[in-house]
Amino acid sequence: MDSNNNITSIWDFFQNPIIMNLLIGVVYFAAIAAFITVLVIILMWMDRRVAAFFQERLGPIKYGPQGLLQPVFDAVKMVSKGNITPRNVDKLVYNLAPMLIFMTTLLVYAALPYGKNLTVVNLNVGVLYLIAISSTATIAILMGGWGSNNKYSLIGGMRTVAMIISYEIPFAFSLLGIIMLTGSMNMTDIINAQKNVWFVFLQPLAFVVFMITAMAELNKSPFDLPEAESELVAGFITEYAGMKFGLVYLAEYANMFSMAAIAVTLFFGGWQGPLLPSWLWFLIKTLLMVFFIMWIRWTLPRIRIDKMMKLNWKVLIPLSILNIFLTGIGIKLYQYFTGMGGV
Amino acid sequence: MIGTGILKGMGITLKRFFSKKITQDYPDVMPVITPRSHGSLDFDAEKCITCGICANECPNSCIKLDTFKNEQGKKVLEKYSINLGYCLFCGLCVNACPKGALSFKTDFELACFSREGAIYTWKGKEPRPEETPAQPGDAKTAAGE
Amino acid sequence: MSMDSDNLNLVDDLNTQEFTINMGPYHPSTHGVFRAVLTLDGEVIVKEENVLGYLHRGMDKIAETRTYSQFVPYTARLDYLASALNNMGYVQTVEKLMGIEVPERAEYLRVIIAELQRIASHYLMLGSTTNDVNAVTGFLYYMHDREKVLDLLEMVTGARLTSNYMRIGGVIDDLPEEFFPKVKEFLAYLPGRLEMMETLILGNEIFQERMKNVGVITAQMALDYGVTGPNLRAAGVRFDLRKVAPYSAYGKIDFEVPVLKNGDAFDRYQIRLMEIKQSLRIIEQAVQQLPEGPIMAKVPKLIKPPAGEVFHKMEGARGILGFHLVSDGGPKPYRLHIHGPSFVNIGIMPAIAPGMLLQDFLAAFATIDVDMGEVDR
Repeated sequence: MDSNNNITSIWDFFQNPIIMNLLIGVVYFAAIAAFITVLVIILMWMDRRVAAFFQERLGPIKYGPQGLLQPVFDAVKMVSKGNITPRNVDKLVYNLAPMLIFMTTLLVYAALPYGKNLTVVNLNVGVLYLIAISSTATIAILMGGWGSNNKYSLIGGMRTVAMIISYEIPFAFSLLGIIMLTGSMNMTDIINAQKNVWFVFLQPLAFVVFMITAMAELNKSPFDLPEAESELVAGFITEYAGMKFGLVYLAEYANMFSMAAIAVTLFFGGWQGPLLPSWLWFLIKTLLMVFFIMWIRWTLPRIRIDKMMKLNWKVLIPLSILNIFLTGIGIKLYQYFTGMGGV
Repeated sequence: MIGTGILKGMGITLKRFFSKKITQDYPDVMPVITPRSHGSLDFDAEKCITCGICANECPNSCIKLDTFKNEQGKKVLEKYSINLGYCLFCGLCVNACPKGALSFKTDFELACFSREGAIYTWKGKEPRPEETPAQPGDAKTAAGE
Repeated sequence: MSMDSDNLNLVDDLNTQEFTINMGPYHPSTHGVFRAVLTLDGEVIVKEENVLGYLHRGMDKIAETRTYSQFVPYTARLDYLASALNNMGYVQTVEKLMGIEVPERAEYLRVIIAELQRIASHYLMLGSTTNDVNAVTGFLYYMHDREKVLDLLEMVTGARLTSNYMRIGGVIDDLPEEFFPKVKEFLAYLPGRLEMMETLILGNEIFQERMKNVGVITAQMALDYGVTGPNLRAAGVRFDLRKVAPYSAYGKIDFEVPVLKNGDAFDRYQIRLMEIKQSLRIIEQAVQQLPEGPIMAKVPKLIKPPAGEVFHKMEGARGILGFHLVSDGGPKPYRLHIHGPSFVNIGIMPAIAPGMLLQDFLAAFATIDVDMGEVDR
């Protein structure tokens, strides 16, 4: 009797919707965490090999097939290093910053459509969510820069704030054209709207603005001012060592993938494609996008801070507003000639 | 037009991406080194006449000769040592040697774990008669090589 | 009311303040152990101060404790990126003091090695500058080509960095047979690569934005501060000792002295590329005209110059490299003073730094091309 009661109570316990949601959440989290770990290993390997190939080198080839195990060795090294906290840092802020940086990265992964009906949370304001989350990393980077109690770190942190806050504007504006075309902020809707033609062809201007601002959001060269190693030593990560540094490093690669995934979703038809399964299409397109980002990164020199601001306020923002304007005219003309809609 | 330079540059890097790679698989495949390369110094005890010109010529005084008088009253080399840790590889000793006993060789892997390891010692033709010479710490001995 | 006054004070306290930052001696972009104490207002430099001496080895004093020929390898450690040029300057000084006539073939061999060394030195400057503006790929392309120059140097001199090829009275060794096909291959290979680098780096808009009108040294300023070498020529002064006062075999070789006019970081970068092309021309002609004959003059075993003093200057990779040698007739120099171009050139930094951004400072510093081994000696 007792045991029977117990079983039903445990069963009831799991039937409880709050617990059920929590468990599903844990499973989702584990899945995303595992996905990111595997992904980052592949991306790190890819970055090194691609960089090496651009530079007429071979890159890591000794460990594992084609050097594929090199990132694993690196990770082991990183974890086994001492967890150093310098004496004069603001301990809470300093230790919290890498975790927050990694957390914002994780949050982006929740809303990405990995394939047909394969998304963790199908938000109806997905695009807004992504814009909002990607800008919160600014605070974490500033925390790292301030908490480190290092002048180089502080300059790096301040550069990040100046850069990401201003680049947020054209970044969001460049996506408005797509939202106008689809009338939805849902990622799945946007992908479905690209059944016939990718938005990169309908919104070429927006794509250019998006790519430039995305590089800035990623802190990737030519916009890697916050961690400009030739002038600021390592910028806001100067004082970090061991796994704290590892988390920032991890987040950097994870961000690269998520940004490429956003680009693919919004401009290249997401997971849509013939023959192959949808998740594979998503991966192929995203990795090609990542390659493109690496290609830019390993070709261009770093831009100067004032020129970067000028580029943003005098070129990118007007261009993105122009794009919204042109999209509006285009939509109205389309409606007029096809006889759809009013006016 | 603004941007053409960037695009051209990206074209160049993409072309390099598919070009031949220059990486040398060094520890597994030894690189080809020109015969003149100043890798390390080689000493031929057979040719040495213990004149000591090399030791005088060396700017850093890293060459040391230990000599003794044998039964015939002739100065004979007991031990010849070069401290490669202080060697400039300038070649003044090689040029100065009247008998060509010193020469450069291409072996460049000179890494060692202690300062004493950088002292290279060669034994002379005949040992000192009374007692056998003591060997320094973990010095590499390359007698008659 | 007291609250209000507190708030007012708070507002008064909310002003910006200048702060000092120590760039170096350990910093990725100070090319050795240069230390710049920068006073920054945000990202703008207000004041810059050079702090030198972290690589001081007392070269001038070492010379007094070594014989004349023993000091030759030390000169290679002065400006370790252009060692053969330093060797050449020193041995020419001693030869001038002793009145030694160097055989013609030796002069040509010296020119070949010196120009190869100049290419290697300029390549390192181009590469490190490119790396300082974070075009890492360009840096590695430069290094790839520099390897080829070093291979040629190693083939002749036996060393890649500190060659010690020049001796008082001539050179140590003749060119090996395999050098001639290799140098021909190299002369055919490099112009294409230079063109590629010009498109990749000079043509890049971001690079131009970074470099143009940055760290301008006008011709008047350069002359006032005694800046020499490519930095002076980038400012528009056609002055090259190889042309103005030809030494060694330079008088018999046809080449041009490239000159640009702006004197900014971009011009200083570009002039190195132009000089490499001229160096290639010099090497090509020198290999073609190479006369037969001995490579070493008759020099006594122990060099004992007559008492007296001599000053000799030559065109180093970074400017005028001078040696002032005083002899008392003994086997060792009485006094040697080295006039290093890097030391003179670095002196202009405090004058041009105020008003620059932090990033500009690196571009300006890198393009002035300073070798700390020569600054601190």
